[in-house]
Amino acid sequence: MAFVDYYQILGLDKNADDKAIKNAYRKLARKYHPDLNPNDKEAQKKFQELNEANEVLSDPEKRKKYDKYGKDWQHSAEFEQARQARSQAGGQEGQWYGGSNEGFSDFFESMFGSGFGGGRQARFRGQDYQAEIHLGLRDAYETHKQTLTVNGKNIRITVPAGVENGQTIKIAGHGGPGSNGGPNGDLYITFSVGVDEKFRRSGNDLHVKAELDLYTAVLGGELVVETLSGKVKLPVKPETQNGSVVRLKGKGFPVYKQEGQFGDLYVTFDVKIPTNLTDRQKELFTELSKS
Amino acid sequence: MENDQLIAIEVFCTNYDVEYAFVESLQEHDLIETVIVGEARFLQVPQLNRIERIIRLHRELDINLEGIEAIQGLLGRIEQLDREIASLRNRLRFYEPGL
Repeated sequence: MAFVDYYQILGLDKNADDKAIKNAYRKLARKYHPDLNPNDKEAQKKFQELNEANEVLSDPEKRKKYDKYGKDWQHSAEFEQARQARSQAGGQEGQWYGGSNEGFSDFFESMFGSGFGGGRQARFRGQDYQAEIHLGLRDAYETHKQTLTVNGKNIRITVPAGVENGQTIKIAGHGGPGSNGGPNGDLYITFSVGVDEKFRRSGNDLHVKAELDLYTAVLGGELVVETLSGKVKLPVKPETQNGSVVRLKGKGFPVYKQEGQFGDLYVTFDVKIPTNLTDRQKELFTELSKS
Repeated sequence: MENDQLIAIEVFCTNYDVEYAFVESLQEHDLIETVIVGEARFLQVPQLNRIERIIRLHRELDINLEGIEAIQGLLGRIEQLDREIASLRNRLRFYEPGL
């Protein structure tokens, strides 16, 4: 557990007065407040550090304890005994700014404990949680259940087919607990959908390359093409050019929350020139080239 | 009257420890909308997230309502831009799968 320099966090020296502490906290809080920096984990972390520093430095008794034992926090038990003696004699605990001690460092918990009194009595929703789920493209093709662990709790969610990379869904009531009986916060899950080796996605459409042998490309025929819902037989027109594209309607990606609707699959033909020709085959090609 | 979608302003004020006048001033600044049913005035529950954010900004950062109005507008634009960036990234990924 590392020592946390609260003065450094607020950009102050150790002689800073109450007004300077308040001003420094306000200034930095306006910069890093989570409401002003949505989805910015660094800012949230910084804001928690600021809150922790302010909790300690704006409270005369805790500041005194921190100043005396800060770097030597392991030996602060004697201070605690003295504090308890004063408290029993009528001393008062300070009021904490804000309502939650969530996210405080181990250093803080070790020095000041995690039990807080006082604070506002207003009911507030709990903190919103953010989580990320990584899926392969093929996982996102079908609606499925997935269990994720958020703050030690297992939550089973349904991942609807067709989720986009970067899409966020809200699971109401699965965030942090509310304060003073307020409702729970919400859980926001962002999907990170990976790239597939074979299929490329563009919205609800899929694109795939299909190798086609020269003879079928020239003479026409059939080609078995893989789709995400199984293999399909694709008629190939005679004289099909390399790089030409055919569309398979409804064989693309499922449309998000539109059951039974799918995008299209675009198949690009990749005509392969035969190799290791026999002498006879070379003869025939030569003959063909002269015709 | 209270149902899943509406919460009486008096109830809201008690639970969130704010003055009725504060909620009225939010409405005057077009930061929230209220609904009148009969003679009582209500807030819509889906607005609660937004109102809580306003209260936090006001209380924790001492930002006045004009400032909050400006912040709300800018946050709305950030959200819109974030969505646009995500959509463009996905399109770009089609051409550069490594992204």
